[in-house]
Amino acid sequence: MNKYQILPFKFTRFNTDTVFITNEVGEFLFISNEDFEKFVSYKLHDNNKTYLDLKSKHILTDSSLTSVINMLSVKYRTKKSFLQNFTSLHMVVSTLRCNSKCIYCQVSHKDLCDKGYDMDKNTASKVVDMIFKSPSPDIKIEFQGGEPLLNFDIIKFIIERSIKINKKINKNLEFVICTNLILITDSILNYLKKYNNVYISTSLDGPDNLHSNNRPLQSGENSYSIFIQNLTKTRQILGKHKVDALMTTTGLNITYFAEVIDEYIRLGFNNIFLRSLNPYGFAQKQREIVGYPIEFFIEEYKKALLYIIELNKKGIYFIESFACLLLTKILTPFPTYFVDLQSPAGIGISGVIYDYNGNVYPSDESRMLAAMGDNKFLLGNVMKNSYNEIFNGDYLKSLIKSSCLESLPGCSCCAYNMFCGADPIRHYSEHGDIIQNPIKSNVCKKNKGIISFLLDLIRKDNEEINNIFWSWITRRPLTEIKRCS
Amino acid sequence: MKEIIGKVQNIGKEIIGKITKKDSLIRFNKKLILVTESPKKRYTRYQAIITIPTMINKIDGVVFYTEDIESLNEEDIVLITPDGRISVLYQSNSYHNVLLLTNLCNCNCIMCPQQKVKNENDMTPLNIELISLMSKKTKQLGITGGEPTLLGDNFFRIISECKTRLPETSIEVLSNGIKFKDFEFTKELALLEHPDLLIAISLYADTDNAHNNIIQTKGFYDTIEGFYNLALFQQKIEIRVVINALNYKRLPKLAEFIYHNFPFVYHIAMMGMEPTGLAEKNINKVWIDPYEYKNELRKAIIYLNQRDMNVSIYNHQLCLLPEELWPYARKSISTWKNLYLNECTGCQIKDNCGGFFESSRKYHSKYIHLLNK
Repeated sequence: MNKYQILPFKFTRFNTDTVFITNEVGEFLFISNEDFEKFVSYKLHDNNKTYLDLKSKHILTDSSLTSVINMLSVKYRTKKSFLQNFTSLHMVVSTLRCNSKCIYCQVSHKDLCDKGYDMDKNTASKVVDMIFKSPSPDIKIEFQGGEPLLNFDIIKFIIERSIKINKKINKNLEFVICTNLILITDSILNYLKKYNNVYISTSLDGPDNLHSNNRPLQSGENSYSIFIQNLTKTRQILGKHKVDALMTTTGLNITYFAEVIDEYIRLGFNNIFLRSLNPYGFAQKQREIVGYPIEFFIEEYKKALLYIIELNKKGIYFIESFACLLLTKILTPFPTYFVDLQSPAGIGISGVIYDYNGNVYPSDESRMLAAMGDNKFLLGNVMKNSYNEIFNGDYLKSLIKSSCLESLPGCSCCAYNMFCGADPIRHYSEHGDIIQNPIKSNVCKKNKGIISFLLDLIRKDNEEINNIFWSWITRRPLTEIKRCS
Repeated sequence: MKEIIGKVQNIGKEIIGKITKKDSLIRFNKKLILVTESPKKRYTRYQAIITIPTMINKIDGVVFYTEDIESLNEEDIVLITPDGRISVLYQSNSYHNVLLLTNLCNCNCIMCPQQKVKNENDMTPLNIELISLMSKKTKQLGITGGEPTLLGDNFFRIISECKTRLPETSIEVLSNGIKFKDFEFTKELALLEHPDLLIAISLYADTDNAHNNIIQTKGFYDTIEGFYNLALFQQKIEIRVVINALNYKRLPKLAEFIYHNFPFVYHIAMMGMEPTGLAEKNINKVWIDPYEYKNELRKAIIYLNQRDMNVSIYNHQLCLLPEELWPYARKSISTWKNLYLNECTGCQIKDNCGGFFESSRKYHSKYIHLLNK
């Protein structure tokens, strides 16, 4: 009889002499090949240090199986606790019209003077009613476009109506306006200032030339200089902490990450999300300028991350947000609430998007597919369908069922699946199938590449780097982590 | 606890009372004991008088004579026994007051500072009386044993008495957590809705055999279920780790285990052992010089602090800790048993240091040394 039982685990050969081994809740160890072979052949001795480590992490048990399974189930529930509250992120497209012509924008945007692409009050009112049917105690309403400020009246209408409804039910309500800031005015800012729960998410792709090349305006004006002016004004009126920025990596700025990061720091941001582009939907010629192979992105990302770590060592508190999300998943017992990195996927059940015409889609990507003529992911319309039909319908359920990494071929046995997430709609848009195929998927390549890079840094157990990572995860200054006496 | 030796007059049975040094006509509390250097011939308003030996034969009534009246403070609670002893059950100027609920225990921890007891008289009436005499300004009160939860209903009675009589006082119950495995028991505690209650539970290792080997019974998974039940009822939990020769090597692993399984705990205390009672009996098995485990302790503390877990070090002398760990060190040794060694004379940071247990005179680190500011 074996002296111990092996509990469910996954592993990967991390390098020539180390195995990365993890349990069902994402706790992990790096063990030697020798110990691994002994472990799986039931020959690991209980006085071996690895034996106790595996036991402590609930990868093996030699005593009470029920108690250990109970502990694992508590940890599993904690890791999956993002599922408890249902949809909290509600994206609203106030208009499809835009004043920019960003080189990476996919076909969905309309020109400034186009007619019929603004959300009307009737639709907006139904959208708000639908949003407040969500059982989640946290409601974040994110205005997207086009450029949402082109239809600011509807933003005001939605904010006011939401606040009125929320007076009775008291949810944690937040608004985010995703804007290029070009059209922001004192009067808009003074209006937004009245509410302490309105945030601005803007876009910044680097210093002047990189930003302006990625994000030209339809008018031909220099988008960077107007952006800088308006950023200053917005921060003055709303407060610095109310404004965050997102960046998009294109073929034009991918080799200049250090410059982009320096620009973020120069402008006083304390984080950057080095986002890779989803290159689907471009004509081949455009793809050559805008796109890049994912392998190249991973290499540039790694360099950028090391650069950011060096800046933190010098005392500049600056977070790379994608790394921070992954580190939270790898190092803590908690989930993140980032909809793109969940299993099951966050589509519909964590985040949802309401198009200008009231159409409801489970993600921004599915709305773009619809704009390109593929309405496959349309969940319904706020004017025609009930909350139940949209959110509790068989269609959304079937999509969710196809997005559990734990049961997807290739993903189910991946040692990194507790750190990763499913995105069936993106996979469909790239490969025509909602069932993820890790061999084809660029998302898989990227996530695997970055996760193993982070794991390698974690494995090296450098105290300075660990402190920096934890200062990101726990949003505390490095001095507090070091807690010098 | 602190004890004072002296001579008794007219004391036939134990007296419990509250100390006052201000003789006042308007006091009618029969539980008061007057402490004075210059007593009148007779009093009617006090249970007893405590005064200096030169007053022998000069006053009537129930009297205790001792040289050491200075060490008694207003609102202290004392027990006077006919054999000429004052035990100070409650010190009004201390943060370390405790109620001993029972000496019985369902564990037999190898480094327990107490001795194993098989049976005893019910201490609940005494404890209820003590609570009623304590100052409402008491900041903290420990509830200890043995294992206090073994009292069952009387345990709840004490907690609920604290809630009523000492509404401003933080209560800290020391427990092995085993009893909280019982869902109904935990629920009953939660239903008392004490506003400021901390359950401090000992956990010594990250695996069952190592922990059970220390507590000398099979309690590991019961304690863990106790954590879950307490968390379910949103009770404030502290984890107490007494570091000894049997568990110091895996201290960093224990920190990992705590963070991943019980991230909901309010506080974690890494504690030096008190080498008396069973610990002294087993000293060869359990003693480890704190100097020898400073690296493991450091790793565990850094690990937990990185993760924003609230962690402290108890019962450690500053000269044995790397300076970066000083911010975590607390002066945790009860006032009455706290002392410094001869080696400490002249140390410039003595005032910040928690010092030693009485029993540490015999067993302490070889590396105690003076520090300069």
